[in-house]
Amino acid sequence: MSSLALPDKALATAVQGLPENALAANRQAALARFLERGFPTTRLEDWKYTDLAAVADISQRWLENGAPLPSAESVGARVAEIRAAIDIDWIVISNGVITDGLDNGAIEGLSIATFSELDLAPGYDHPLADLNAALLPDGLHIRVHANTAHERPLGLLIADGSDSQPGVAQSRIFIELEEGSRAQFVEYHASIGEADHYANSVVELSLARGASADYVRVQGRDSRHTQTHRTAITLRDSSTVRYSGFDLGGRLIRNDLDIDIAGREATALVGGLYIAGDGQHVDNHVRIDHRVGPARSEQEYRGILGGRCRCVWNGKTIVQPGADGTDAEQSNHNLLLSERSEIDAKPELEIYADEVKCSHGTTVGQLDDTALFYLRSRGLDKQDAMRALTRAFGASIVSHSPIALLTDHLKETVEQRLSTLTDGDDA
Amino acid sequence: MLEIKDLKVRTGDTPILNGLSLSVKAGEVHAIMGPNGSGKSTLAQVIAGHEDYVVTGGSVEYRGKDLLQLEPEERAREGIFLGFQYPVEIPGVNNAYLLKAALNAKRRHQGLDEIDAFEFLKLAKEKMALLGMDPKFLNRGVNEGFSGGEKKRNEILQMAMLEPELAILDETDSGLDIDALKAVAHGVNALRSPDRAIVLVTHYQRLLDYVEPDVVHVLSSGQILRSGDKSLALELEEKGYDWVREAANA
Repeated sequence: MSSLALPDKALATAVQGLPENALAANRQAALARFLERGFPTTRLEDWKYTDLAAVADISQRWLENGAPLPSAESVGARVAEIRAAIDIDWIVISNGVITDGLDNGAIEGLSIATFSELDLAPGYDHPLADLNAALLPDGLHIRVHANTAHERPLGLLIADGSDSQPGVAQSRIFIELEEGSRAQFVEYHASIGEADHYANSVVELSLARGASADYVRVQGRDSRHTQTHRTAITLRDSSTVRYSGFDLGGRLIRNDLDIDIAGREATALVGGLYIAGDGQHVDNHVRIDHRVGPARSEQEYRGILGGRCRCVWNGKTIVQPGADGTDAEQSNHNLLLSERSEIDAKPELEIYADEVKCSHGTTVGQLDDTALFYLRSRGLDKQDAMRALTRAFGASIVSHSPIALLTDHLKETVEQRLSTLTDGDDA
Repeated sequence: MLEIKDLKVRTGDTPILNGLSLSVKAGEVHAIMGPNGSGKSTLAQVIAGHEDYVVTGGSVEYRGKDLLQLEPEERAREGIFLGFQYPVEIPGVNNAYLLKAALNAKRRHQGLDEIDAFEFLKLAKEKMALLGMDPKFLNRGVNEGFSGGEKKRNEILQMAMLEPELAILDETDSGLDIDALKAVAHGVNALRSPDRAIVLVTHYQRLLDYVEPDVVHVLSSGQILRSGDKSLALELEEKGYDWVREAANA
């Protein structure tokens, strides 16, 4: 087989089985597009290191079972845990279904609706976005009214998984920040359950002139589960996005972050931290497209790898013809705690304009022996010293994450993740 | 307290210490002087347990124990402190964390309770005042962005907090302005007691104006060529190291 396809009929039946709403026609169109292309394969440059065979396999088994939508109850415990840990207003999408929304009007200056209510068709040209649109029960639309400022973050919790049989869940969120508005979002991906699971999500963020968004994405999936996730951000004149992504769990994770700089004086500040241990594959692809200038983008990703795992970072910055005055920086630093860890890091700069300032830097290394000896010479045992240095490596991403209210939770979660990583692997 | 006998050390294929013997008793302050490359820093690092140095002969006894058998952290908990010539910058590990972890590691080893947050802060601020350090340094990364003088003061702060039985200060005086030098000397003098010993590794005799040594040794080519009282340091300052070497060869 030349591509990772899914059986046409079973997929069509699954699409048929979804709740009847305004999305129905669009699902059929998206299904046709997906069937034409199938899942992206490793023959594509962008997918060279990430093989979706496991994802296709889970999807296939899910289809064979009659494509059930697992119940929301199966993820209830995990949802409760996150609600208890982070005290903000949450909208919960359980196994692809918006189960716990906020009433429209619950927050002044914010409109919350489903795609079907607005008769909105999910778009975005990509096979995985097509698969998402074909199988999507409904999408979530959030509109931040012009010139309103929201100091309290809004939580978007995507929770899925099941104990009994392979599951597949789609979720889609569209956030529109109108002119001069300001808001903060926490997007949390979590999963629970014994059975294999594949979650596929698309989040779109559109910032109008002068709008500003602080955005933190946390991926804390179960180590058995898989995810493909695409975020597309469009920035108009003088808008600013501060975005941080944390990948702490999952078996096979692929995140695509596309930032379209479509306005002058726009700013995109992106940070990312991925921590992977035995059996994990975590791939972050970031593409920042400077279409006009002057504008500024910065991205710094850090990775901590222990045990037999593989991570991928691909940071691509494109400066289009005429985007003069672009200031773009990208960096990626990796700490390999084990000889069995592998990182494929690829910075890319494509510059077609003259008046630009661009830089990139990538490093891959081990813990610094000199620092390790220094800490041990003060009485810290080797394990503690290693843990302190490992934690320190990721600390800048945590402390620069844009939502202060979340910092303590992130510190704790990262700490927990690292303790299992360094305890299990002393290579 | 410290008995070094015929110590031979190499790094890679290069021999650095060639049969060095040194005896330091509780209550004493020793100064080890010598030209660059004589093995002064190696001696300090070997006592602290750096793995890059291979001991090929001789012995090091510390309070009756075979020091060479101990891990670096065990040596620290047993009361040995090395003030680094080049203190390491560790962004992301904060100073307060390190001080507290170090102090508690030693206390646990001594069978004492861990220090509580309030007591710790009180103690740290007291010691920082003694050294003329801004308490803000507590919340900064270890030595991160510190000037040369700040780094050395930070070493002395760690020493003051840990109250080691044997402190070895490796060129702690180099690159300091006079105020920093006085602060460092003040920290060292405050630690002097009949139960402790201090070894100052230094290139110049400047520090010895402020911390008066009981014994001065001259190290050259990995051996102690000559030992004497504090007047030896002054003589060296005047006549240079060649004088000792020539005298030894004669």
